[in-house]
Amino acid sequence: MMFLLWIRGVLARRFLRVAGAAAGIALTVALLAAMALFLANAGASMTARAVSAVPIDWQVQVISGADPDLIGKALTEAAPVKTVHQVRYADVAGFEARTGGTTQTTGPGQAVAFDSRYFSDFPAEIRSLSGTLDGVLIAQQTAANLHVGPGDAVSIQRMGLPPAEVRIAGVVDLPDADALFQAVGLPPQAAPQAPPDNVLILPQEAWRQLFDPQQKARPDTTRLQLHVRLAHEALPPDPVAAYTFVTAAQRNLEARVAGQALVADNLGSRLGAVREDALYASVLFLFLGLPGVALAVALTFAVTSSGAARRRTEQALLRVRGATTKAILFLSATEAAVAAIGGTAIGMAAASLLAIIAPGLKATLGVDGPTLLLVAFFGLLVGFIAFLYPAWRDARWATVTAARRTVSRPKTPLWQRLWLDCLLLAAAGLFFWQSASTGYQIVLAPEGVAATSVDYKAFIAPALFWLGMALLTIRLSATIIAGNGALLRMIIAPVSGPLAPIVSAALSRQSGRLTIGIAMTALAISFATSTAIFNTTYNAQARIDAELTNGSDVTVFGSTDRPAGARLAALTSLPEAAAAEPMQHRFAYVGADLQDLYGIDPDRIGHATSLSDAYFSGASAAGTLALLAATSDGVLVSEETVQDFQLQQGDTINLRLIDARDHQYHPVAFKFIGVAREFPTAPKDSFLVANSAYVARMTGSDASEYVLMRARADPAALARQVSSVLTFDPSLKVSDIGQAAHLIGSSLTAVDLGGLTTIELGFAVVMAAAAAGLMLALGFFERRRPFAILAAIGAKPRQLAAFLWSEGLLILVGGMIFGLLSGLLTAWMLVKLLTGVFDPPPEALSIPWLYLAVMLGLVAASVAAAVLSARPSAGQAAEQLRDL
Amino acid sequence: MHALDAYELYRFFHIGDDETAALRGVSFHVAAGEIVALVGPSGSGKSTLLACVTGLDEPDGGYVEVAGVRLTRRPEAHRTRVRAASFGILLQSGNLFGHLSVEQNLRLQMLLAKKPDDQRMASLLESVGLSHRARAFPTELSGGETARAGLAVALAADPPILIADEPTAEVDSDTESRLIAHFEARRDAGLATLLATHSRALARKADRIIKLKDGRIDRG
Amino acid sequence: MAETLVIAKGLGRDFRDGNADRINVLRDVDCEIASGARIALVGPSGSGKTTLLHILGGLDRPTAGTVEWPGLGAFETLRPRQIGFVFQSPSLFPALTAVQNVGLPMLLAGENTRANDIGASLLQSFGLGELGDKLPEELSGGQAQRIAMARALAMAPKLVLADEPTGQLDSRTALRFFDAVLSRLEDTDIALVVATHDEVVANRMATRWTMDHGRLTTGHRPGAAAA
Repeated sequence: MMFLLWIRGVLARRFLRVAGAAAGIALTVALLAAMALFLANAGASMTARAVSAVPIDWQVQVISGADPDLIGKALTEAAPVKTVHQVRYADVAGFEARTGGTTQTTGPGQAVAFDSRYFSDFPAEIRSLSGTLDGVLIAQQTAANLHVGPGDAVSIQRMGLPPAEVRIAGVVDLPDADALFQAVGLPPQAAPQAPPDNVLILPQEAWRQLFDPQQKARPDTTRLQLHVRLAHEALPPDPVAAYTFVTAAQRNLEARVAGQALVADNLGSRLGAVREDALYASVLFLFLGLPGVALAVALTFAVTSSGAARRRTEQALLRVRGATTKAILFLSATEAAVAAIGGTAIGMAAASLLAIIAPGLKATLGVDGPTLLLVAFFGLLVGFIAFLYPAWRDARWATVTAARRTVSRPKTPLWQRLWLDCLLLAAAGLFFWQSASTGYQIVLAPEGVAATSVDYKAFIAPALFWLGMALLTIRLSATIIAGNGALLRMIIAPVSGPLAPIVSAALSRQSGRLTIGIAMTALAISFATSTAIFNTTYNAQARIDAELTNGSDVTVFGSTDRPAGARLAALTSLPEAAAAEPMQHRFAYVGADLQDLYGIDPDRIGHATSLSDAYFSGASAAGTLALLAATSDGVLVSEETVQDFQLQQGDTINLRLIDARDHQYHPVAFKFIGVAREFPTAPKDSFLVANSAYVARMTGSDASEYVLMRARADPAALARQVSSVLTFDPSLKVSDIGQAAHLIGSSLTAVDLGGLTTIELGFAVVMAAAAAGLMLALGFFERRRPFAILAAIGAKPRQLAAFLWSEGLLILVGGMIFGLLSGLLTAWMLVKLLTGVFDPPPEALSIPWLYLAVMLGLVAASVAAAVLSARPSAGQAAEQLRDL
Repeated sequence: MHALDAYELYRFFHIGDDETAALRGVSFHVAAGEIVALVGPSGSGKSTLLACVTGLDEPDGGYVEVAGVRLTRRPEAHRTRVRAASFGILLQSGNLFGHLSVEQNLRLQMLLAKKPDDQRMASLLESVGLSHRARAFPTELSGGETARAGLAVALAADPPILIADEPTAEVDSDTESRLIAHFEARRDAGLATLLATHSRALARKADRIIKLKDGRIDRG
Repeated sequence: MAETLVIAKGLGRDFRDGNADRINVLRDVDCEIASGARIALVGPSGSGKTTLLHILGGLDRPTAGTVEWPGLGAFETLRPRQIGFVFQSPSLFPALTAVQNVGLPMLLAGENTRANDIGASLLQSFGLGELGDKLPEELSGGQAQRIAMARALAMAPKLVLADEPTGQLDSRTALRFFDAVLSRLEDTDIALVVATHDEVVANRMATRWTMDHGRLTTGHRPGAAAA
């Protein structure tokens, strides 16, 4: 009864104070809910992408002697299986071919047979380069080694059996050779082995004919694998859950087959890596998003505390009138409930709306229900604490009379006396320096191990920094304002004119309130700035990463037999092509290690692709290319190669390249001139870069296997044009940068941030404007009586405006300076901390000037709006004066 | 046993390192059917004394009894109950909740004292001359109307003791007379009234005057 | 030579209360204020004294009738130079000290240099000299009220309108203060209109206007005999 009476009165006459709190809560809840929804969906899309990137989910190797049908049955019982195919492998001692009078022999290799319809179910496993897919197929590298093509005969050196001869029907590329030829059943710590260079693919019947005898004689040289695709619809969307599901199924299978088969869980490994990345993404963007949530909570508290004085007086009067502490708290709780429930409901509704209109934010109630419930609970909690904490604190005051007196005796807060701000900043510096000394290894991804681990400790540095800066802002602002010195007067001079002394005196008395306003605005601007800078840098790096993988905007991949360079003229003349440059892609033995060799024209390659300084160790891109151009026999090698061969600058290194004239490997001398860490289209392994002219001269072939192209504007459009020009060259593969971006492996930059950062950046702008305008407006609202007094005793509107604009200017200037500085440094810190993840690391921060300008503009507009709406109209002044 | 008994009340305040004695052994009583005026210059301890006898403040020494029921050194819930049931308090200013109308302010007081009575509310409003302003909000009332509304709230639950702190300080003589009429009506009805005031006119209407000076009763 | 400072004819002022009912606070009020006048405006609370003062001071507009300030110049310049106002409720600017508050009208009028001195001297003359650096929240109601009066006098305006300037003071202090004010205004032709319910104060004034339910009754012409 009493509560209804009270709350009706509050809603009718003090609606704004409840609405303000509700709005703050709504903002908090909306942001948190949107982030939760996004992260859930990001996880789902990461899972989906990981799944689609794994061609063969499981490879089940049947132990020799075991019954494959039994294994197959156990398989279908252990896991939701979509398709299963049988693949047979046989070790061979080598291959031999005779062409044009010379005989080429290879080292040991593999003969593989896929069962019928394998390639229709696993199309990613094979790519035809020449000839047909019907018959015996030979791997690209093997064909190069033997210098054979379709129609030629190859002799297979079987193990312990006489050689067999087959005729080649086609040359193929095996894109997934790493997985195809992995050693199943090795312990996870074992280093992955390189796939064999020499592979022949036989039709099943031919393989049985040739290798069944070998299997009987030497069972250890043949293997049977079941290649499995699981039913992906059955996988849970969350990466962690998907990982658990798949690995549990794998263990289930292993238990059922009791040692009769070994399982290589490609999907599980991939999900394991993705799982860590998903976690990392959550941490990262929670980190960027939580300050926003904290800010919204702080705003809520600021709004509710602005009515605290009045509520305190009301509560004191309630005590006079005989209300118990419990009753007083209950009344507060009723107000709190209205604000909290209303705010939470509005926030949830806003998030749902966002979910409908924003891409990548579909909400599935089953998956997201519990999370959203948690978010709603948080919103309610914030609301109740915002109202009840001050009420509870004041209820404990012994004397009502003390509470009725609202004298505030300003005491330096504890944190300021303890210099907490400086301590926090120092601690941040320490943590950061510690991370720096380990080379910013946030994500530890040892070579060859699928899983990654995250050093969450590293995020302490930016968190402490942000907090420390906030406190420092408060300290410095308070010093300047309360000090009422020349600096303060100088700042407000433009808007206060001759009234400056009196305005600054008035402002200095309210330094507490103004300081909070500046701090809130600075926090919001800092949040917006750091998020925006980080996001822009991140996207820029993602683009660079994609460019690296793809080589350039559009790349045409060919082979030595069918080089893309042959079509250079046609490609260069395409309308959307800004530039097209050829690049050789050969293979060379460095000692016993076969590495990719890229031949370029150093003076021209930059037209088609950007080479970043980060690609080269110890020198700039321009410098390195110039050096290569000046050294005709120069070669750039990988760091690992330098270590292995103890190379010094200028040393001669012999590489064995295939000579086109006799199809044999011959040593060619190169001069070591530098280290290349990254190169367009180069794999993560060691590779070599040399002058294409020299390579052409020494190998007798000037074929350029690849062509790198730069688009005028739209890479996708260029790719389409290239594809149509190359319709009759099916062996040439066209790929544009967009596709590469999707195929990037477990790199963190693959996480698609579009949705989340749009939300965060949007919120950041709203909150920055709200923080500034709201804090001002609240302050003005609380002081409309003094302003009415001023007007009544003769202040002109212009003079009243001086007071208002001075406050606005302080908040704006203070907020912008501290906010931008803090945001910039926080972003810098974050980018530095994540250096190890970016591949290559960014050279500098990318600053989104437009966004920052818009944000600051909105903040300024919000300040102006608050000031303009605070000026009492004639009607309001009269109303206020009736009070006086 | 009187309506209100205060015995040897002491109250000290500490501001920084200084200790001020606001009350130094104040004893007095208010009986049913009488008006007692508490006079003294500002700073003499009047407000502190009122806070202590109504249970809003806890004295450092001495005790307070309301109709024989001990008030001091009792849990806050008990003091609140006694206050709601026994005291009507009229403050110098800020008697009304701004977000409630006059009527709603009265109703709230009645609900707090657990004595809701619509008829009594109507007659009370009439007696203070605010029947036509029942639905007005405090910001719409004139100074005198505000004071009268405050009195109505203080009397809403028909309390045995009325405590008024400077009730006529901000009102005109017309309103002052009305207020005094109410106090006298209470006396005639056998209820107790304690007034703190610096108005000589008001003090003259009391049955007894207690002079407070420097925290002590001045018998001079 | 007394000049007419303010002329009001047929003033009416309506307000709407919470129920949207119309309340006539002023009805058909005629009055004139001449320079050097000493007018006490008496009447029960709710009779419209405050509203009348607000309208005469240019702080509010009447809903009926006219008010003009022939002797005081344009409307925009009325305050702070021509009219000083003392409000019924506390009206000091919370963020400024007492002396800054008193000097505020001078600052608003652009006379920065003398503001502090005038402020200090006014406080001194009312016996409040040592309160100069105190903030309003550190002052008692009575002290604040007297400082507000000092503020109203700061620019030596031609007309001072005071709404219950002694309401917070006990009788002795009120009288002492008011005498100080009157003695400061002596030998000037500053007009003083005081709304009050303190009979002692009212009796100090030469003219008495009485308000009753929005109507101005006796003695609204300067020089008329006090009731």
